[in-house]
Amino acid sequence: MNSFHIILFVCNWGPHSAFQKLQDESADIPAEVKMVRIPCAGRISKALLIKAFEMGADGVMLAGCHPGACRYGSGTESARQNTEDAREILELLGLKKDRVRFATFLPDDSEAMLRLLKDFSNEIKRVGKSPVIPTRKPAPGPIDKKKVAEVVAAHDIFACQDCGKCSSACSLAQMGKPFSPRVVANSVIAGDIESPTVIENIWACLTCGLCYERCPSAVNFPEFIRDVRHVLSKSDRAGHETHGGFFQSMMRTLTSPDLKPEHWEWLPNDIRSNPDGKVLFFGGCAPYFDIFFRRHLGVRTRKILVDSLRLLNFFDIEPALLSDERCCGHDLLWSGDQENFLKLAALNVESFHHLGIEEVITTCPECYRTLKHDYPEHGVEINFKVTHLYEIIEKEISKGAVDFKKMDQSVTFQDACRLSRMERMADLPRKLLSRLKPKGFQEMKDHANAAVCCGNCSWIGCDSFSKALQVQRLRQAHDTGSNLLVTACPKCQIHLQCAMEDPFIGEEIKMEVEDLSSVIARTICWE
Amino acid sequence: MLKERNQDSMKKEILITGFGGQGIVMAGRILGQAASLEDHHESTFVQSYGPESRGGACSAQVIISNQVIHYPYISRPDILICMSQAGYEKFINTIKPDGMLLVEQDLINPRNAEVEIFSIPATRMAEESGNKMMANIIMLGFLTAVTEVVSLDAALKTVTRLVPEGTEEKNIQAFNKGWDYGRATLKGREKKAAGQTGAIS
Ligand code: SF4
Ligand code: SF4
Ligand code: SF4
Repeated sequence: MNSFHIILFVCNWGPHSAFQKLQDESADIPAEVKMVRIPCAGRISKALLIKAFEMGADGVMLAGCHPGACRYGSGTESARQNTEDAREILELLGLKKDRVRFATFLPDDSEAMLRLLKDFSNEIKRVGKSPVIPTRKPAPGPIDKKKVAEVVAAHDIFACQDCGKCSSACSLAQMGKPFSPRVVANSVIAGDIESPTVIENIWACLTCGLCYERCPSAVNFPEFIRDVRHVLSKSDRAGHETHGGFFQSMMRTLTSPDLKPEHWEWLPNDIRSNPDGKVLFFGGCAPYFDIFFRRHLGVRTRKILVDSLRLLNFFDIEPALLSDERCCGHDLLWSGDQENFLKLAALNVESFHHLGIEEVITTCPECYRTLKHDYPEHGVEINFKVTHLYEIIEKEISKGAVDFKKMDQSVTFQDACRLSRMERMADLPRKLLSRLKPKGFQEMKDHANAAVCCGNCSWIGCDSFSKALQVQRLRQAHDTGSNLLVTACPKCQIHLQCAMEDPFIGEEIKMEVEDLSSVIARTICWE
Repeated sequence: MLKERNQDSMKKEILITGFGGQGIVMAGRILGQAASLEDHHESTFVQSYGPESRGGACSAQVIISNQVIHYPYISRPDILICMSQAGYEKFINTIKPDGMLLVEQDLINPRNAEVEIFSIPATRMAEESGNKMMANIIMLGFLTAVTEVVSLDAALKTVTRLVPEGTEEKNIQAFNKGWDYGRATLKGREKKAAGQTGAIS
């Protein structure tokens, strides 16, 4: 089918009157325009705008009321901002910003509306069909109990001795959530998978891995949860996706092979990379985070990538960059969407192999774990080495002749669960930290393998228990007397900073946060 | 770095000093043999037999040249390597004005030196990798990197040949540590000279 699909979101008030007039007059509205009437343009979030493209739209126009005419006050401005952000996200995705437009109308602006619709329709035809292949949503149905039994067997959940160590360690249970990994494991073994509480619990788990750390029988609860989620998703029992499912939409959109993302366009000019290099730097989704959260949290995770590249350049390492880099798929895998995870994995690995890449460097712990372990474990073969940035930097620093400038902050460190616990690399960031010259360094009460989670994983089910966890963690950070919280994962930064926005205790728990790569980059110098 | 390497006449006089037990003589022997047997230059090697060799100061003299060497003793070294303060004090005034000084950073205070100084904490690095005795080999790697009086390949081969059997791998590791440190030092100086001191300039 070669027909175009343009979605027109029309605000119920001014613009809808204008549109109705066009309908009444049987005006020649372009046939590809499908109108969706909405209560207010300001309610069309970035997630909804991007979702339209995930589902196969070629263009989206958002029609709101004139500034000042919004019935709810701020709708026009919200719509304008959301469209602006969505346009930038479309650029990153390689879909081109022109596919989204925002326009405002008064009730009698029907002629202007018609002109604009025709113009937009021509524009979309000029930009062309969207290369996105819509992903299929699973149909509701009974849960595949045989598959569940297979997952139980594969992870040998029967080894559970019912000791309860997991439940007493679990971060969520500690926050007072009526939740116990032991009970979940045993309910699933007993075949109680249809129970709403069990399903809720399966989606509530943070997959942080603290329980696995404590389990005497080595029951890998987080991986078990990950795979049960996959079975649940297949019968349309997916968990609640945070932020309106924006991140899942973005990741699924990226599974279309003909899409050519523009991942690195924003990179400062002084960064040196080598298009023919066999060592590649894989950045991850930070560019998306910064656009998505910029009006709320002021998230600046792109800086982590820039500083990582600057560090490599400092040591005269000029890595290759994949201009059409896609997401590694970590969050799809851990939120139950194995099918789309596998598509991303295959596309990424194909790009690496095509360029003859021998080594991939990552700074994001999730990318590291996913490329290194989850690709091969899920049958996507890799013939390159996966290295964490810290390994390279530590090796280079240990060659000598490098020094660090004194810092005027006292620091503490938030472990990334994927790096410190799952990959058992808690010592590596500490080795680097010990080379720095802060005013002081103090570990939090729970640290390294015992560290507490930042409160969310894979953009699933963020709730008041997540918040409580984050608040507790930030209080631990303050208890160390430090004034800089050093992190190792862009998402730890995002989630912890989110808690600091709390209108009641935000001031009390606020703390400066900076990624370890950035701290090293700003203090390292030649001796 | 030696600019004369490729010119018609090349002659480098190298003096290594330290105290007994640091492997000074061994370092000198490796350097001399690397130059002659591997790089096919002329070289001479003399170890000092003065009264100081009994437990105290100790030194090795190596000359590397592409012409016949008539006299193996050194009075004005081009390159002075010091692994003890006593050796430093004794010889610092003999170094040529355009000479290079290499010192063990933690053991020597290079006061009044008027030549270019390269320093490395060789003993500490040797201790960190579990064998204090290899400070000399680390220094040798450093020397090879910053002075280029012998080629890397020649030095590695000679280290392998002359160190006690069974310790080759450890010694090569030590050598590489010193070499890496030397390369890093040169790179750092180059960057600093170009005005790039840190990662974020
Ligand atoms: S810690 Fe392990 S053995 Fe103990 S109850 Fe939990 S899963 Fe079972
Ligand atoms: S992975 Fe974390 S949140 Fe999930 S059960 Fe284990 S400790 Fe609790
Ligand atoms: S902590 Fe904040 S940023 Fe993180 S998932 Fe929850 S709401 Fe989103």
